[in-house]
Amino acid sequence: MASLSTSSLSFKAPSIQSTRTSQVLRKPLSFQPISFGRFQSSKNLRLQISCAAKPETVQKVSDIVREQLALSADTALTAESKFSALGADSLDTVEIVMALEEKFNISVEEADAQNITTIQEAADLIEDLAQKKPAA
Amino acid sequence: MVDKGQVISLCRFLLRAGRQYPDYNIREYAKRRTLDGFRMNKNLTDHSKVVDAYVEGKKQLEVVERLVKVYLAYPPKTKNIMELKLQ
Repeated sequence: MASLSTSSLSFKAPSIQSTRTSQVLRKPLSFQPISFGRFQSSKNLRLQISCAAKPETVQKVSDIVREQLALSADTALTAESKFSALGADSLDTVEIVMALEEKFNISVEEADAQNITTIQEAADLIEDLAQKKPAA
Repeated sequence: MVDKGQVISLCRFLLRAGRQYPDYNIREYAKRRTLDGFRMNKNLTDHSKVVDAYVEGKKQLEVVERLVKVYLAYPPKTKNIMELKLQ
C-alpha cells in the first residue's frame, strides 16, 4: 500500500503540483473512511486518464510514428497530432501500434487499438499498460 | 459482408502470429508480406473481391499459425546477425 502511494506520488511530480495541494485540502471534507494511500491512488487513476503521460513516452511514441510514416525531420509532431492528419491510414495505424507494442513490450487489446487516433492517446495507453503490468 | 473493422482485425492477427516465429528471416518476411498484401488490396471497390481477399487472408492466418507451432519445435541454434545489437 505504501509503495503504491509513493509510486503514484512520484508519477505526479513532474506535472500538476497545484491540484495535489487542493486534494490534501479536500481530504478532510470527504466522508469516505478510506486510508490515505488508497484515496490517493484512486484519485490518481482518475487523474491519469485526463493528465498527460510522461514526456519521454510521448517523445518515444513520436519517434516511432516519425519512422513508420517516413516524415521529414521538420514536420512538427505535437502530442495532439492525429495519425490521419499525418497521412496515415488504418493500416499504418496498425503498423504503428505493433511497433509500439514491440518497443514497450506491452500487449494492446483489440478494442483499445481501434480507438487510438492521436499520439497523446497512444502514450496514455502505454503508460496505463506499463503500470498495470508489474501489478499483474 | 466484410467490414473495415474485420479487415483491420485480420491484419492485426496476422501480424501478431507472424511475430512468434523464432527465425528472423521468416518473421520479417511474414510481417512484410502481410503489410504488402493488405496495401495492395487497399483500394478494392468490388465487394466480392474484398470478400475473396478476406477469405484468402483467413486461410493464410491458419497457415501461419500452424507453421509457428512447427518452427517453434525446431528453433534455430544461433541468433541471426541482424538480431544482434551493435556493440
